[in-house]
Amino acid sequence: MHALAVDGLHKSFDGDPAVDDISLTVPQGEFFSLIGPSGCGKTTTLRMLAGLLTPDAGRVMLNGEDVTDRPARERETNTVFQDLVLFPHMTVAENVGYGLARSGVTDPERGQRVDDALALVKLAGFGDRDPADLSGGQRQRVALARALVNDPTVLLLDEPLASLDRTLRDEMQAEFRRIQRDSDTTFLYVTHDQESAMSMSDTVAVMRDGRIVNAGPPRQLYTDPQTQFVASFLGDATLLDGEVTRHAGPDVVVKTDAGPLRADADAASYAVGDTVTVAVRPEAVTLGGGGLTGTVVDIAYKGFYEEAAVDCNGTELVVRRERNTAATPENATSADGGTGVPFRVGETVTLGVDRAILVENERR
Amino acid sequence: MSVADTPGRVRDWLIAGSPVLLALALGVFPLVTLFVESIGPGLGGENYAEVLSPLYRGALLYSIGVGVGVTAVCLAVAYPITYWIAHRCPDRYRLVALVAVTLPLWLNYVVLNYAWVWILARGGVVNRILVGSGVLDSSLDLLYNNVSMGIGFVYIYLPYVVLTMYVSMERLDYRLITAARDLGASDYRVFLDIVLPRTLPGAAAATLIVYARIAGAFATPEILGSPGNIMIARLVVQAFRQYTNYGFAAALSFVFLLLVLGSLALGALSPRVRRELRQW
Repeated sequence: MHALAVDGLHKSFDGDPAVDDISLTVPQGEFFSLIGPSGCGKTTTLRMLAGLLTPDAGRVMLNGEDVTDRPARERETNTVFQDLVLFPHMTVAENVGYGLARSGVTDPERGQRVDDALALVKLAGFGDRDPADLSGGQRQRVALARALVNDPTVLLLDEPLASLDRTLRDEMQAEFRRIQRDSDTTFLYVTHDQESAMSMSDTVAVMRDGRIVNAGPPRQLYTDPQTQFVASFLGDATLLDGEVTRHAGPDVVVKTDAGPLRADADAASYAVGDTVTVAVRPEAVTLGGGGLTGTVVDIAYKGFYEEAAVDCNGTELVVRRERNTAATPENATSADGGTGVPFRVGETVTLGVDRAILVENERR
Repeated sequence: MSVADTPGRVRDWLIAGSPVLLALALGVFPLVTLFVESIGPGLGGENYAEVLSPLYRGALLYSIGVGVGVTAVCLAVAYPITYWIAHRCPDRYRLVALVAVTLPLWLNYVVLNYAWVWILARGGVVNRILVGSGVLDSSLDLLYNNVSMGIGFVYIYLPYVVLTMYVSMERLDYRLITAARDLGASDYRVFLDIVLPRTLPGAAAATLIVYARIAGAFATPEILGSPGNIMIARLVVQAFRQYTNYGFAAALSFVFLLLVLGSLALGALSPRVRRELRQW
């Protein structure tokens, strides 16, 4: 039985469909992320799961029980809101204990559970503070504890990390993952930040225009995205249109403007002459050798690696190269493409593509 | 030459200082005069002794009671109204709703009272409708009792309470209500745990504005109230006009002022109110 099962959820606002036939299942104890660009309907979906919004059609099941018609306060879900919305007139302990008090848990037990929850989020001893006196990261932890302490069937998180700076966000991501494992709670995390979703989740579902376009473990979505939208939303990818020129076994060769590219054909079958779209990830592009030639048009320094945009017959491919920290433009003695020598704009390079990914093009 | 001596600085002080001085003079000077009058003639306390006699004590307590009661009713009515206007009313009707509720502010105070005489009198609107529709055989006495006076008071002072409460209610973060519901709070708990504490400053401000004015009101009890229930303002006016006993009138006013301040302080003793007022 699934902690959460959603079947055919629909919601329109003034005739515009915001959520259009969403179905998903989340097993108990899983970290599930719903990601997509702003306006894709992910927050609307979350509000329907929380019971804060009534769906036009479809069903929401928690632990096999139909809760579609129950308001938020009668659902075994709790939410960590985007802006946290801690109660400013209550102490940290009163905030965390609020849900328990409403479900009739009285004091020796309530105090104990509040203390345990605060310890779980590493805020033991902060119970008497005012939320206003806490740092941003600490407030995040209080919001998490306030929801988690009620032991919800599903914990819903609505982009709670969006307002944090990068360092704190990375730290909180690791914390969320640890807390999720330690508490063995099912998390449903909504975000537009694909990076954090990929690093935390067991399963990621990518939404676009009110629908889930692709779902699966992060690794699978990254290495084998179904559509060009998923390929470019999860990480960097260059998309190229081309024509299948050879199809032998699992191998497909696609003729593109940049040159011929080899791709793996998955279950779908292709015929020679088909027009297809392939995605090329920067890490699949190697420098030197290979059959493509191009000119460096742009370079970007990224710290431990350097990135160059290479124009191959009008199509820009991105290639990355690790930098030898000892090499600087001043002491570089050769510019033959060897490791450690910086790219130069205008330089001609040869590229190889290990593997392109065949994707559906939803624009067609 | 130091900065403080520059002409600009002096002018700044004059500009800022004169209205402050004026406000202090206007606020404090009459009170001081009144106080001096109340303890005269000859520093005797006889004026105050008389104020504390049972007749006047009764009127003082009755006035305070009316003030507390009417203020409570105003707040109870203003809460749902302002909540609706601030959080439920569509944006474009908000101003219309506020203006509609506060319309009586723009009419003369005495006229507002007489409007209710018109409505509640034996030949008034309410009686004519009730008798005309056959609900009643003959007209009822609706005027000149505590109810008619209470209606008049609420009608006149509600706009002040609504305007003051609205500011607080608008600042109430609706997301807090959503969060409380998500954590299992019923409507009653949402009101008690979120709406009430977050809007208490507004309620306190509204109380400060209307409570003393209701308790010390003159026109409404005269026009709509029962002749038997005497409020303090009538006694002060009588002492001034009929008996020209200025000292006694002043003492009566002062005792009333102390009672009002005392009852407000009593309200501020509640730890919950104090916690909210600390935010000011």
